[in-house]
Amino acid sequence: MSVFKSVMWKRALNAGLMCQPKGTWGVHAVRRCSAPAVPVNRITALQAMDIWKRHFMERGVTEPEHSSQHIIAHLLGAKTIESVERGKLTELLSPEKTEQVWKLCTRRLSRMPVQYVIEEWDFRDLTLKMRPPVFIPRPETEELVDLVLADLERFPKPGGVVDAQRSFMEVGCGSGAISLSLLKSRPQLRAVAVDRSLDAVNLTRENALRLGLQDRLQVYHVDVMKDAETVLDLCGPVSTLVSNPPYLFSEDMKSLEPEILRFEDHAALDGGDDGLGVIKQILALAPQILSNHGPRFCILQKDESNEHLDMDLH
Amino acid sequence: MFVNGWCRIWTSCRRVIYSSRKRRIGGGGWRTLTGRTGPKHANTSGAQPWSSGAPSRFCHSDFGDLYENVSVQKYIQQLTEEHGNVRKKLQHLYVSESERKVLQMRHTELLPLVTMFERIQEAQKDLEELSLLYNSAGSKDEDEQLMELCKEEEMQISSKIVDLRKDLMEALVPQDPLDSSNILLEVISGRTTGGDICQRFTSEMFEMYQGFASYMNWDFEVLSCSDSEYSGLHHAAVKIAGENVYRYLKHEGGTHRVQIIPEVGLSSRMQRIHTGTMTVIILPQPVELDVRIDPKDLRIDTFRSRGAGGQSVNTTDSAVRIVHLPTGITAECQQTRSQLKNRDTAMKVLKFRLYERMMDKENNLRHRARKQQVGMRTQSDRIRTYNFSQDRVTDHRTGYEARDIKAFMRGGEPLYHLVCDVLKHSEMEALLGAVESSSSSSSLKPPELEQSAD
Repeated sequence: MSVFKSVMWKRALNAGLMCQPKGTWGVHAVRRCSAPAVPVNRITALQAMDIWKRHFMERGVTEPEHSSQHIIAHLLGAKTIESVERGKLTELLSPEKTEQVWKLCTRRLSRMPVQYVIEEWDFRDLTLKMRPPVFIPRPETEELVDLVLADLERFPKPGGVVDAQRSFMEVGCGSGAISLSLLKSRPQLRAVAVDRSLDAVNLTRENALRLGLQDRLQVYHVDVMKDAETVLDLCGPVSTLVSNPPYLFSEDMKSLEPEILRFEDHAALDGGDDGLGVIKQILALAPQILSNHGPRFCILQKDESNEHLDMDLH
Repeated sequence: MFVNGWCRIWTSCRRVIYSSRKRRIGGGGWRTLTGRTGPKHANTSGAQPWSSGAPSRFCHSDFGDLYENVSVQKYIQQLTEEHGNVRKKLQHLYVSESERKVLQMRHTELLPLVTMFERIQEAQKDLEELSLLYNSAGSKDEDEQLMELCKEEEMQISSKIVDLRKDLMEALVPQDPLDSSNILLEVISGRTTGGDICQRFTSEMFEMYQGFASYMNWDFEVLSCSDSEYSGLHHAAVKIAGENVYRYLKHEGGTHRVQIIPEVGLSSRMQRIHTGTMTVIILPQPVELDVRIDPKDLRIDTFRSRGAGGQSVNTTDSAVRIVHLPTGITAECQQTRSQLKNRDTAMKVLKFRLYERMMDKENNLRHRARKQQVGMRTQSDRIRTYNFSQDRVTDHRTGYEARDIKAFMRGGEPLYHLVCDVLKHSEMEALLGAVESSSSSSSLKPPELEQSAD
């Protein structure tokens, strides 16, 4: 099953990459896309944005305006259209730059998420590298980090133990967004993170290195569903267990938009029949992983309405 | 209307200054001995210092000149009396703790003013003694030497008196408690029919203030910024932090007008002057405690609030809009790719605006005036004109004129001079206002102060 999925992703990627007028792509290509030709005359960034916004709209690509703005801003060295250096938007793009715009925007035509197209995204005050099929952090998860930080404030370890001896574990770290945000905010914290996907483990390690946080984070390739004991062996008791686990119902997976269906790791989203498969497993592990001090509760992020389920573990 | 009020006070100020200027003799800002005794000894050969290359102004005056003002003199007398009374009271034993605290504070406030005034009077006495010596000198040789020494010392003392008077006047200016605040500065493009003059002008004003912040060593943090489709700026919001930011920039709020002849290459018919406007809004930063917001009063609009969110959706739309439901005040931000950061920025801006609304509610004249400066955004409310075709910047409140508009728009020293000039005028106006209001209330003063001497 997973082999098929990875083949599908590779083909989707290739389809995106090879969308040239003369390109040949196989019959198995996920979606036909003929890329617009690179203009002969030089154009400005603003004009390029407008052209691609129209292309995206014509092909039914979601968030056409945001997509073209983010991609082109990125190529101009800025994170958003607002922060592009004054005047750059109306300057003529060099031929090389124009080709880059065309190359990246064409990838978006295949419904590749913008975050994968530009290979990075921001999470709170961090910029993280993004790579398919590792799960892209959602904006709502930024608030989850806030909640954890607030709790770390409110419930210091009894006995006057300071952050220096506190550690947490993250299950399903993905790109490392949650762990790295926490470590950045609390210089004394240490963490252990696990993920069942080797791609995720590698990406988290890469992001930790880029942010200089690799000394305080250990990342392991473990599947909590299959190897619960291994998880317990990884480290001593931790004071906090944090996770943004898959929670979608299996039957809802097929109605996901192409951005997710074609490019992101389904295992990061599929929570089983009741959506609670992974969650239950984590909760089962919790009493053994968590140290004996402090209150036990967890905050789960669920649902479109972003309800937080506070559950008492006692 | 504030503008009329400003003009009214200005004419009275000008009258005051002109009358003192008639008695002002000599150049360079100090009076000769002979000058003090009357205008018949006026030295008219001295060149007017303010016409030699300095920017021209309608109402040229020095702070120190206000010393001569009769009302100001009365005001100083009042303060001196008050100081005496306060000191006497403090020496009494039966003053309560709370009253003692109040009196002590007032004493601390008044002491430097009174001390300065005493020093001025001492210096004037010295000058009088010197003039006696001077007038009694004969024409012998040794007396000539004496006269030289007298002249030198006279110059020194006179210059000291001028400085002391200026210091005293500046110290008498009522303090604006918000002066040291950081600010939120907003630039908003006006609307024109056709063309992008307003937006381009807005962009240049943004850069001018950016340059000024750099010149003043202030921190310039862009909170939001929306470019127009052409090469210009619709709107931007910036937080400027540093020393006394509000004091210097508070008078920048209002409509700024630009006059420009567009680029070469158009037909002569098109070569007429084009006009555009933009608005600057300056809001002081609230102290944290002043603005308390109940989360229940806020509605936060994000992508997910419009529908599905979470794991089932991929989005790059991190724009945030916050509405404060009780007042309807809003703030939005899409400056970064992080929704959380955008929300924090929007909250910052919301607090600035709420604080402003709170201050308005207190019916503070200053804030009402500021609102009126910005309100209509019509040509008649303009505070300054930037005339590129004639290469000059004119501030309509003071008449200050600066040349070399290109250098001015870089936001360095030329803008600093204009800002200081406007500040000086407003501080003088504030001083006269305080003087006038105290003279009108002194006639109604309860008799208790006179009874304090027992």
